[in-house]
Amino acid sequence: MRKLTKLAVLVAAVGALGASASEASTGRTTGTLKGAGSSFVAPLVAQWQANYKSSEIQYNPIGSGGGIAAITSRTVDFGASDAPLSKDQFAACKGCVQIPWALSATAIPYNVPGLNGRLHLNAGVLADIYLGKVTNWNSPRVKALNRKLSLPDLKITPVYRSDNSGTSYNFTDYLAHASAEWKSKIGVGVNANWPAGIGAPKSNGVAAAVSQTKGAVGYVDVAYTLKNHLQFAAIQNKSGKWALPGLRGIKSAAALITKVPANGELSIVNPPKAAKYANAYPISTFTYVILPTKTSSAQELRRFVFWALTNGQQYGPRLLFVPIPKVVLSYSEKTLNKVKS
Amino acid sequence: MSSIATPAAARAAELRRRGRFRPGDIVLHGLTLLASLAAVSLLVLIAWKITDQARPAIHDFGLRFLTTKTWDPGTRQVFGAAAFLFGTAVTSLGALLIAGPLSIAIALFLTELAPRWIRGPVGALVEMLAAVPSVVVGLWGILVMGPFVADHLEPFLHRTLGFIPLFRGDASIFGLLPAILVLTIMITPIVSSVSRELFIGVPRDLKEGALALGTTRWEMIRGLVFPYARSGIAAALILGLGRAVGEAIAVTQVIGGNVAIHWSLFQPGDTLASRIASQYQGASSAKQVSAIAYLAVILLCFSLVANIGAQAIVRRFAGRHPVAR
Repeated sequence: MRKLTKLAVLVAAVGALGASASEASTGRTTGTLKGAGSSFVAPLVAQWQANYKSSEIQYNPIGSGGGIAAITSRTVDFGASDAPLSKDQFAACKGCVQIPWALSATAIPYNVPGLNGRLHLNAGVLADIYLGKVTNWNSPRVKALNRKLSLPDLKITPVYRSDNSGTSYNFTDYLAHASAEWKSKIGVGVNANWPAGIGAPKSNGVAAAVSQTKGAVGYVDVAYTLKNHLQFAAIQNKSGKWALPGLRGIKSAAALITKVPANGELSIVNPPKAAKYANAYPISTFTYVILPTKTSSAQELRRFVFWALTNGQQYGPRLLFVPIPKVVLSYSEKTLNKVKS
Repeated sequence: MSSIATPAAARAAELRRRGRFRPGDIVLHGLTLLASLAAVSLLVLIAWKITDQARPAIHDFGLRFLTTKTWDPGTRQVFGAAAFLFGTAVTSLGALLIAGPLSIAIALFLTELAPRWIRGPVGALVEMLAAVPSVVVGLWGILVMGPFVADHLEPFLHRTLGFIPLFRGDASIFGLLPAILVLTIMITPIVSSVSRELFIGVPRDLKEGALALGTTRWEMIRGLVFPYARSGIAAALILGLGRAVGEAIAVTQVIGGNVAIHWSLFQPGDTLASRIASQYQGASSAKQVSAIAYLAVILLCFSLVANIGAQAIVRRFAGRHPVAR
């Protein structure tokens, strides 16, 4: 009994680490490609699974962080992440390439009871809400953007992702572009030293937290936001227009890319004031597939990812994924050729 | 055969009859030895692996890690465990404070007070609580318990006990209090079922003897059952504490993942295990991975200390057993 007690306590203590470290073993059969990662891109991958005929695609939407961990330990054939790999992650992955393969946006859902219209926000106010400086919905800063709304006297509770997430990367990237204070104090990353608010795990955790907390505001990928009928804010872009996370707004933001850097990392948040970006939704993002450059299933992988980049893009718009622009496509095709057996 | 008087003599005779070769015993010995070695080596391997991963952080931060309140995976890359040590201590001790008396009451009811037909079903149901997956408990915590806590429990505590700093602040569905309640639910089945076994183990003749001497049921429980089961209850509570300290997923879902130390139980916080579970995968810098492994080392050390402490308590109480003497 006593020995059992001891063991049980120890196992409970290390259980957390053990659980996250134990990935599914490879067990690869010919004609099957296994992937894991981003839940953001999962609805689109589900369409690809149904329509791609040359191999069977298995995909486990465990989150971008999990996807990076899985491809680093080579327990899957491909990983998927909404955040580009960091320097340390590139080094740990030993010979990986990241290829932008889909394009969508992050929505700002909110829960303000009794509003007589859609909430309007901009980068400055969002940054100050998440910095803990704007704390009430009837603050003059929020009122200035929502003249027609009767805003209640209600505490603002910003909600963030407590796990490592590509959506957090997209959101902090946006705030850092818009606010110098955010950039110097908090920075950009899959997680941050959040100065205010509450953290919840995964998209569904944030969605639940927002819908259960009066006065909450959060950030969740747009497909998930729509599927769960969350109310989301219109965001003012640098051209001064109010944009919604729709196909037009995302496409306009993606026009920012004229050249792809060697490591494939792209950022299209907060495009500058210009006629070209007049309709841009400022919290848009590419999402990446991460492939090992040396793998026994190189041929099948190349064929699948090429198909996803070309034919596969047609399944996007219904799910609010915009087909990737030509300049990105040609980079992605070229990089794909680095994957060899 | 009748000439052999004692079992030892019988075994010796058996040995002589069969000779020295006993394949069954050798296989049994080997298998059990292998099983125990596997358990021990697994533990050693885990400890070695996480310590190895934590080495850069241990080197960088040293013991300051324990008193640093910051956890900044962003620009500054500064990591410290103080906020998580605080969160772990508050949530697990809080849960134990509620679950301990509750579990002992459940066990007493089921062994001493309840009508016989009710004991089986209620006992089984309480134990079934332990089989609910922690992620389900966590989801229930967000969707059902959270709103109740935020709309009713916390305003009530604030009204009645608001003069204590613990119960001040804005009500929220996320925070230390929801985490304490979730942990209470998770450790109650363990502590109560272990206590129940202990109470059943109190010899019937002693109990009946006490009652025959004219004690009330409560006097019998206080004077006989509790002293008899004391060391076991201590061990059961430590077992529950270990479970509470190590629980990650359900806590992550309700605690609000915030790096801060404050008096109010209504505020969000985080624990060691919860932070490890939420940030190990996909940590963007090698330094952060290492800092998380450092948290795991602390958790492991804490468990070892708790276990050694538990054994010391058990031995101390067992040494002066009032009834056994």
